[in-house]
Amino acid sequence: MRARTPFKTFRVVALILVVLSLLAPLAWMVAASLKTNVDIYNPDKALLFTPTWDNYATVLKQANYVQFIANSLWVAFAATALSILIGVPAAYSMSRFSMRRSALVVLMARVIPAVSLLVPWYYVFSNLHMVGGFTVLILSHMFVSLPLIVYIMMGYFDGLPLELEESGLVDGLTPIGAFRRITLPLSTPGIATAGILSFIFSWNNFMFALVLSSADTKTLPVAIFDFVGYASIDWGGLMAASTVVTLPIMLVALFAQKYVVSGLTAGATKG
Amino acid sequence: MLRQSVIGTSLAVAAALGLSACGGGDAQSAGSKTVRVTLANHVWTENIKKALPEFEKKTGLKVEITQLGEDQLSDQYNVKLNAGSSDIDVMMYRPLQEGKLFAKNKYLADVTDKVKANKDWDWSDFKSGPVQATTYEDKVVGVPLITEQEVLYYRKDLLKKAGYTNPPKTLDELKSMAAKIKQENPGVAGFVARTGKSPAVTQFSSFLYSFGGDFVDESGKSAVGSPEAKQAYAFYGSLIKDLGPANVSTDMGWPEAMAIFTQGKAAFYTEANSLYKNATDPAKSKVSGTVGFAPFPEGPAGSKPYSIPSWALGVNDASENQANAWKFIEWATSKAQTLENEKAGVPGGRTSVAADPAATATYPKDLVEANAIMANNGVGHDRPLVVKVAEAREIVGQPIVDAITGKDATASADTANQKFQTFLDDENK
Amino acid sequence: MSATTTTTARTTESLTTSTSTPGWARWANQHRKWLFAAPAMVFVALLIVFPVAWTVYLSLTDAEGSVRAESSFIGFANYLDVLSDTERFWPAVLRTVVFTSGVLLVEVVLGMAIALLLWRPFKGEKWVRVAVLLPLVATPVAVGMMWRLIFDPNIGMANRVLGWFGLGPWPWLAGEHSALPTTMFIDIWQWTPMVVLILLAGLTSLSDEPQEAALIDGATAWQRFRHVTLPLLMPTVLVAVLLRGIDALKTFDILYATKGKGGGSFHEVETLNVYAYGLSFDYNEYGVSSAVLIIFFLIIIGSMWALTSRRKDVA
Repeated sequence: MRARTPFKTFRVVALILVVLSLLAPLAWMVAASLKTNVDIYNPDKALLFTPTWDNYATVLKQANYVQFIANSLWVAFAATALSILIGVPAAYSMSRFSMRRSALVVLMARVIPAVSLLVPWYYVFSNLHMVGGFTVLILSHMFVSLPLIVYIMMGYFDGLPLELEESGLVDGLTPIGAFRRITLPLSTPGIATAGILSFIFSWNNFMFALVLSSADTKTLPVAIFDFVGYASIDWGGLMAASTVVTLPIMLVALFAQKYVVSGLTAGATKG
Repeated sequence: MLRQSVIGTSLAVAAALGLSACGGGDAQSAGSKTVRVTLANHVWTENIKKALPEFEKKTGLKVEITQLGEDQLSDQYNVKLNAGSSDIDVMMYRPLQEGKLFAKNKYLADVTDKVKANKDWDWSDFKSGPVQATTYEDKVVGVPLITEQEVLYYRKDLLKKAGYTNPPKTLDELKSMAAKIKQENPGVAGFVARTGKSPAVTQFSSFLYSFGGDFVDESGKSAVGSPEAKQAYAFYGSLIKDLGPANVSTDMGWPEAMAIFTQGKAAFYTEANSLYKNATDPAKSKVSGTVGFAPFPEGPAGSKPYSIPSWALGVNDASENQANAWKFIEWATSKAQTLENEKAGVPGGRTSVAADPAATATYPKDLVEANAIMANNGVGHDRPLVVKVAEAREIVGQPIVDAITGKDATASADTANQKFQTFLDDENK
Repeated sequence: MSATTTTTARTTESLTTSTSTPGWARWANQHRKWLFAAPAMVFVALLIVFPVAWTVYLSLTDAEGSVRAESSFIGFANYLDVLSDTERFWPAVLRTVVFTSGVLLVEVVLGMAIALLLWRPFKGEKWVRVAVLLPLVATPVAVGMMWRLIFDPNIGMANRVLGWFGLGPWPWLAGEHSALPTTMFIDIWQWTPMVVLILLAGLTSLSDEPQEAALIDGATAWQRFRHVTLPLLMPTVLVAVLLRGIDALKTFDILYATKGKGGGSFHEVETLNVYAYGLSFDYNEYGVSSAVLIIFFLIIIGSMWALTSRRKDVA
C-alpha cells in the first residue's frame, strides 16, 4: 500500500512525539541514577551535571542483585511457560465453543484484588510449608498470567477464520490435529504477544513476592524498596536500582522484539 | 515448531518445580541453629549487619536477615503474624505504633524472665520511658533499640545574616525570627515541617505539649478540643501556611520536608533528632556546613518535646526458636553493641551509653547539648497511646492539615474531638 | 507457512490418521472441549475458592486486629455501615469510576491511533516498538517514585518545564484536586502501550482483502477505518477494554507509590482498592474491609458482565 507524502510526514512527526513522550521520563530516571542526591534535588542541574557511578556501586554492593535478577527471571519464565501450556488450549476451546461463562471463571482470577488473597493464601501455604519456595511464587504469578493469556488468545482465535481448520478436517486431520498443525502455527504472533505481556506482569509483580518470598527467592521489585529507608531516602540509589530492575527486561523486550516482528510480518503477507 | 519447544520447556519446568518444591521453603525445626530476624531499613540495621560475623562466631548460630522499608515491614507483619507464621524469630517493631496491637494479639513473646536473668546485660540500665513503652500489662515484651526527641534544625548562616546570634528560645521567638528571615530572603521559607495528616502528628505533638495540651486528659477523655490544643493546631498550621514554602503539599512526611531543608529552601525545621545525619552529610545536604541544632523552643507551658523509643526488638510468640532468638537480642542490645551504634549516630535505649562521652564524639556539639537538655523534660509519647494507632493519627491529624490549608481549624478541632472520643469509647468497650 | 507445504504435510498424514486413530485419541477428540479448558479452570478455581469463601465469612463478622482473634457473627451490619458511609466509601466509589473510565477512554483511543500508526511496515519500526514497550516494562512501583520526583512542586522537573512556557507552578500530585488527574496521566503514560500491543496483534491478524476491496471502491482512509477495520477489530478492542478496564479498576501500585497509604491527607486518590487495602493493613478492620472487598468484587463482575454480553452481539 503506497503511503501518500502528507500522510507520511504526519506519521513521522506523530511517531516522534509518541516516542519522545514515552521515553523522556525514563531517560530522566537513568539520568537521575547518575547524579548525587544533592544534584537530584537541584533543578538547575537537570541536564548539566557531573555523572557518578556511586549509586550503582551502592546498589550492587548493598544487595546481591544478580541473585534477585535470576529469581525474577526464573519465576517470570516459569509462570509464563506454564500459563501458556494450560492457557492456550483453554482459550481455543472457549473461543471455538463459545464457552463464555467458563471464560468468566478464568477471568475471575484477574478480578479479585490481591488484598483479599494475601492473608488466606499465606495461611494455606504456610500450613503446607511451601512459603518462601519458588513453587508458591510461580503459582501466585500464574494466577495473574493465566487469565491474561486466555483472554488475549480468545480474542485472537475469534478472529481466526474457521475455514482453515475445516479444510484440515476435510483432509483427514482430527480436530486436535487441526489445532496442532494449523491453528497453533498461525497463532504464533498472538502467543508471542500474550507471552511477552505475561512475562512483564510477572516480572513487575510486587505484592505477592513481598509476602510469599524469602531472602533466597526475593524478586527485584521487593528489592527496590530496600532503598526507601527510615533514616534516609536515597533517590540516587532508588533510581539506580530502578534502572537495574528495568535493564534485564529491556533486553528481553529487545530480543522478543524480533519474534513479534517476524510473527507480524508473516501475518501481513498471508493470504 | 513453537508448540514443541513450548511443550518441551514446560515439561522441563514442571519437573524442576517438583524439585524446587523440596528445595526452598521453610523447613525449620524447633531450636534450629538459624535465627531469622526481620529488620527495618535504618542506620541501626546497617551497623548490626556489619557486626554480625562477630555474633555468629561467638555463638555458632547463623543469622538470616530480612530487611524492609517501614511500610512494607508493617504489611509483612500484618500478613505473617496474622496467619500465625513461625517464619520470623526476632522482629524489629515500633512500640508506639504497633506495640499495643501486637501485645494485645499476643504476637510478642513474654520475655520478662529473660530480661532479668542476665545481671551483666543489665535490664535496669535501660531508660525508664522506653521500658514503659515495651511493657504490656506488667509483662516485658520488647527491648528498646532507638530513642529520639524532637529538635530544632536551623540555618546558622541565615540567622547570622538576619542579625541573630542565638537560635530562638521560645515558640514566639521562632515565629518572629522565621518571619524576618523569610522577608529578607525571597524564595526561602521561614519554616518547614511535616504536613501529612498522619506523619505530622508525631512532630506536632511537641507543640501540643508545649502549649499545655495532650491527646487525652488525665481521665482518658479526648483532649484535642481543649483550648490549649486549639492554640497548638492554629500555631503549627499558621507557621506552615504563612511562613512555609509556597504551594506546600499536604502530604509531606520527613523525606519531603527534609529535602526542602537540605536544599536550602527553609530556615527552621522541627524534626526527630535521629534523622540528623541527613542534614549534616555533604553527600545528602547542600547546607551541610551550616546546620545548627537547638532544643525545642518553649511554649506557654515550657519546652516539652517528645522523647520516645522509636524501635524495639521483640520475639515472635509463634517462633519455634525463642531461646536463640533471645540470644540475638541480648547481643544486639548489649552495652558494647549499643555503644557502637550510638557512636555511629543512632541513639539507643541505655542510660549508661547515653552518658558516655565517647558515644557522642562524632555528633555536632550543639546537638549533644540540645539532647542533654531535652532528656530531662521529654514526654514519653508522640501519638495517641491506643491500639488502633493508624486510625487515631488520622483523626487527630485532620485539624493540622485543615489549619495548614486555611480552613476553620477551631471547628475542625471540635469535630476531631468528637470523633476521637467516639473512637476511644469504641476501643475501651 | 505457504499453502503448498502444509497441503503436502496434510496429505501424508491423512494416509495414517483415518485407519489407525487409537481409542484414546478418538475419546480425546470427542471431549476436547473440556479437555482443553479443564486444567486452566481447575487451577483458578482451586486458588480462589478458599480466599473468596474466607472473605465472605469475614465480612459477616466484626473481625479486627487479628484475623485469628475472637470475632462474632454480626450478619450484614458491616454492609449496612459501608453502604451508608458517605465520608469514605462513596467518595472512593466515585474516584474509582472517574479514574477507570477516564484512563480507559484515553488509553483505547490513543492506543488505537498509535496501533494504526505502527500497522504498516516502515523504516526504524523496530526501535519505535521497543520505545513503546519500555513504559510497560518499567516496574510500576519504581515508575511511581520517578514521577513523584518529577512532579514535586518545588524541586521537580514538571514545573520547570511549565516555566519554560510561562505557565505557573501547578501542585500536581500535591494538590487536593489535581492529584487524581495527575495519577491518571501517569497511568495513561504507562499502560497505553499495552493497548497498543493488543490492538496491533489484532490488526495484523486481519486479512488484507476487505481493505483492498474498500480501497478499490474508492473509500477514504477514515471510511476504511470506520466501516472495515474497526468492525473487524471489535473483538480485539473489547478484549483490550476488558483487560485494561479490570486492571484500571484495581489500580494500586501507582497510587500507593505516589500518595502512600490512605490515598493522601484528603484521600485524594483513594479508590476502592486503596481503601480496602488501608482498612486491612492500616486499621486492621478485617470485617469491614472484607465487606468493601465483596462489594468491590460485585462491581467489577457487574461491569465485566455488561461488557461480555456486548461482546456476544458483536462477535
